Amino acid sequence: MQLTLKKNKTSKQLLWIGIVSIVMFFAGLTSAYIVRKAEGGWLEFEMPVWFTISTVAIVASSALLLFAAQNARAGRSATNLLLGTLAIGVFFTYSQVQGWDDLVAQGVYLTGEGSNASGSFIYALTLMHLLHLIGGLIALGITAVKSKQGKYTKDNYLGIQLTSIYWHFLGILWLYLFLFFTYA
Amino acid sequence: MSEHHKETFLTKYIFSLDHKMIAKQFLITGMFMGVVGMTMSILFRLQLSNPGESFAVLEFFLGEKWAPGGVLDPNMYLSLVTMHGTILVFWVLTAGLTGTFANFLIPLQIGARDMASGFMNMLSYWFFFAATLVLMYSLFVESGPAAAGWTIYPPLSALPQAIPGSGLGQDLWLIAITLFVVSSLLGGLNYIVTILNLRTKGMSMSRLPLTIWALLIVAILGVLSFPVLLSCALLLIFDRSFGTSFYLSDIIINGEALHNTGGSPILFEHLFWFLGHPEVYIILLPALGIVSEVISVNSRKPIFGYKAMVGALIVIAFLSFVVWGHHMFITGMDPFLGSVFTFTTLLIAIPSAVKVFNYLATLWRANIRFTPAMLFAIAFVSTFITGGLTGLILGDSALDINIHDTYFVVGHFHIVMGVSAIYGMLAGVYHWFPKMYGRMMNKKLGYFHFWVTFISAYGVFFPMHFLGLAGLPRRYYTNSAFPMFDGLTDINEVITFFAIIGGLVQLLFIFNFFYSIFKGTKASENPWKSNTLEWTTPVERIHGNWPGEIPSVERWPYDYSKPGADEDFIPQNVPLKEGETEH
Amino acid sequence: MESILVGLIILLSVIVLVQLLRVNELISEVKNEDPNEITEKDNNTQGILTFLIVGVLFLAFVLWQFKYWGIHILPPASSLHGATIDTLMNVTLGLIIFVFFLTQPVLAWFSFKYRGLKNSAAYYYPHNNKLEVIWTVVPTLVLTPLIIYGLNVWNDITNADTTNSKVIELYAKQFNWTARYAGEDNSLGKANYKLVKGLNELGVDMEDENAGDDIITREVHLVIDQPVLLKMRSQDVIHSAFLPHFRVQMNCVPGMTTQFGFTPTQTTAEMKEQEGEDFEFVLLCNKICGAAHYNMKMKFIVESQEEYDTWMASQKTLKNTLTLN
Ligand code: HEM
Ligand SMILES: [Cu+2]
Ligand SMILES: [Cu+2]
Repeated sequence: MQLTLKKNKTSKQLLWIGIVSIVMFFAGLTSAYIVRKAEGGWLEFEMPVWFTISTVAIVASSALLLFAAQNARAGRSATNLLLGTLAIGVFFTYSQVQGWDDLVAQGVYLTGEGSNASGSFIYALTLMHLLHLIGGLIALGITAVKSKQGKYTKDNYLGIQLTSIYWHFLGILWLYLFLFFTYA
Repeated sequence: MSEHHKETFLTKYIFSLDHKMIAKQFLITGMFMGVVGMTMSILFRLQLSNPGESFAVLEFFLGEKWAPGGVLDPNMYLSLVTMHGTILVFWVLTAGLTGTFANFLIPLQIGARDMASGFMNMLSYWFFFAATLVLMYSLFVESGPAAAGWTIYPPLSALPQAIPGSGLGQDLWLIAITLFVVSSLLGGLNYIVTILNLRTKGMSMSRLPLTIWALLIVAILGVLSFPVLLSCALLLIFDRSFGTSFYLSDIIINGEALHNTGGSPILFEHLFWFLGHPEVYIILLPALGIVSEVISVNSRKPIFGYKAMVGALIVIAFLSFVVWGHHMFITGMDPFLGSVFTFTTLLIAIPSAVKVFNYLATLWRANIRFTPAMLFAIAFVSTFITGGLTGLILGDSALDINIHDTYFVVGHFHIVMGVSAIYGMLAGVYHWFPKMYGRMMNKKLGYFHFWVTFISAYGVFFPMHFLGLAGLPRRYYTNSAFPMFDGLTDINEVITFFAIIGGLVQLLFIFNFFYSIFKGTKASENPWKSNTLEWTTPVERIHGNWPGEIPSVERWPYDYSKPGADEDFIPQNVPLKEGETEH
Repeated sequence: MESILVGLIILLSVIVLVQLLRVNELISEVKNEDPNEITEKDNNTQGILTFLIVGVLFLAFVLWQFKYWGIHILPPASSLHGATIDTLMNVTLGLIIFVFFLTQPVLAWFSFKYRGLKNSAAYYYPHNNKLEVIWTVVPTLVLTPLIIYGLNVWNDITNADTTNSKVIELYAKQFNWTARYAGEDNSLGKANYKLVKGLNELGVDMEDENAGDDIITREVHLVIDQPVLLKMRSQDVIHSAFLPHFRVQMNCVPGMTTQFGFTPTQTTAEMKEQEGEDFEFVLLCNKICGAAHYNMKMKFIVESQEEYDTWMASQKTLKNTLTLN
């Protein structure tokens, strides 16, 4: 018991510190964005509607995940809620791709003649977020399978906790990026 | 922990989860890369001090393509300089130094059975190993390895048309560095969590050995700065592979005007040095930690001003995040910003001075035992002083105008970061070798290795200051294009002479290392009569470190020559006597 | 064949080394001592060696270098601001050398004095707050004026008034320099990299009214005591315009213009007298830029107004070179 508690604590700390380094990664990219923007020659454009849909989706997925964790805490099965979160997560990925399509339709390109740093930045940042999110999807998948196999108990559902922390972080990161693009 | 796993060769030596084995993997890979990097420097130095001359060794190593007729190709010169810097900074003195001693010492000195996550620890090594393979492979590609300097400033690093090394070689460099950063992050996370959570009973933060303090701070620096290097490299990868314009603007290369506009190479420099400067402290701090420990043990005296030592480490680490602009004084940055960076940079001199004076105070009225490790530690103090002082010149923006990117810089950073950190690393190897392999390294070879190294290191790097003050730029294939440098030939020859001697004697060290692993005399459990916990473990190294319970800690690690004690050391697990106060 | 020989030699030396170590260990075994234990004799020898090598040999080597290699150090600055840099440099160097010759001998002396001999013992002395405060405060007190002094020099250099300076552009590319004088109007015509073509090497926009009188040259002539403002551009990668004798350096970055203003105070002729017939002011590239980085140079000539005017009169304006062709 003592040992599991310790293990849970260290696992969570590992994750938190890992999150700090991800934050530094995006802080680096967004400060590059600010510095570059201050230099002028910056193309302004509308954020695609699909990104707003992404935002709604990721908030919804986080809400589901909260319920999943609540179930686990109460000793009920969290499998379905986890699968639900996973499904919305996949939809988020889809909405991102649609968002890129919208951008291209608007004439905002990643690269080539007529591309602008503002466009390149938005692709680079969303792509990086999406890569991290795919990690989250894999984690959700594994947690769902383990939950189905009954590996989590009322007293120990570390996997769900860790996945939750990471997933909520990804949601907050997206919100930050979304607000950053809209207002910065 | 007591259950016995069946160990096979594969799980014991290759995919080991044991922190001690992983430490050795880092050490040996680091040593191998050290030889590679050092050989490169000797090769390019040879040509630099003998312009136009032909050398059989050059042809032997580089072949007809890169050394036609035994004369080094200028592109290859830059590739060698770049790979030399990359290898020594990242592979030897980041992974080789921190990877070895963090893995080896953290669990042993804080009283833990292993790292928080043995699996992540193993992964950390294997990412490092993969990075090594990629980097080594890049030495053999058709267009040559990366050649834009270890700082890979674009546009040079972004355009294969500008220099052949910026083709496939640079791609591989970037892949290698990405793998490397992942490795460092996995390691760093583990170090932090282990130190914060797995300390044995009684091991409060104020009883941590200074090595552990240094390694903790290094891990925090790494977790905060390496991701920024990654973001910096990512945008470069985009520019190189997808044609974006983050760093590129208004360029004509090979007569072709590129479409890119609006990008800024200066942006790259900001992102790069935001990592780059903390990186030099990532290199230096573990050495400071090791040296503090070695000096105290062999002075038979507590380290002077433990709290100030920890405080100085923290202040240095903090300041290292706000000084990156001192690498950019002459990029046309806002002069006011330049002033700010001068101010913050020169402030670092204060905690550094405190550390030096504390070392000197530790040596005062000591009872010094001159192990090879102790000699390297003393030499570290010497180079740390020398290199730190020249930093006062470079940190001053007005003075930097005329010595930026000259050999003065090369002299400065080799002494303060290169040589010092190598000394720290060698001190560490000599000191902990008995715990790593259960045998002693040969002392006579150790002394010989030390003195030749000490003399040749200063012989190589001190004269470089004069080259710099004569105005000689770094990264020059030859000085012969400018008559004003004609008088510098003799300095250059002295440097190359000592470089060769200094390089050869490292081979002797490596010989001593491997000889002693197999044939060294058997070590006792605590050969240096040291206080820290690692010396309470048995000579036969076992998974889990202590056969029985982990000892609990009763005192700080520096009770050497304490009045009233029977011996001149009191291990940390010995309870305070009746009426005895903790330092 | 050769590599076989080299391989053999290496193998032999390793074998010899191993044998030497074995013999050494056997002798110790006979004498019944541990060959790798650090004895009092070791402490004595190594302590003395530390004193001799760290404290004497090394410091003597440093002094020797100043004596014999000091002559290679650049001559005093040939520019107004350069003289202030030199003074700051001398003050800083003085301080550094002082601290260096204070601390290194102490290190060597302590190592020697407190080497572990038979009956010696260490003094338990974990801390002393007063001392630690002293050696925090003293460096701070020394550094403060140095920082302020340095910042003043920096501000004077970077905020110098350049309104009356003659404007000259330095254009860097792999692997040479080109200069462009701003001409009579002292205004450089606009330039755009897309316009670089044929004779218009710098991409000057000839539509711009300031462009016609600009003059492109392969060496730079300056008038003594007349301020100039150098404006740097680059065509391909980062270069750095380095004029060591004037204490001038500024990066040339593609996509932006940087600048550095200074006033030369010595003519080339004066310098030749002082430094020898071969002396020239040169512009070097000081940022790694490719294979011939080491060979990017341009001559700078400082002369009297009359000499300058004669030279200038022989140069062609862009109007003449570009539009007439
Ligand atoms: C045998 C010992 C060594 C010798 C002879 C040596 C020599 C040199 C020389 C001459 C240069 C400058 C080349 C140039 O600018 O043209 C150089 C560059 C460099 N060295 Fe070393 N070095 C040695 C060891 C080290 C060590 C221990 C480090 C660890 C920090 C190191 C790190 C670097 C770095 C970072 C550069 C800059 C590379 C670049 O310009 O991109 N070197 N070395
Ligand atoms: Cu720095
Ligand atoms: Cu150049």
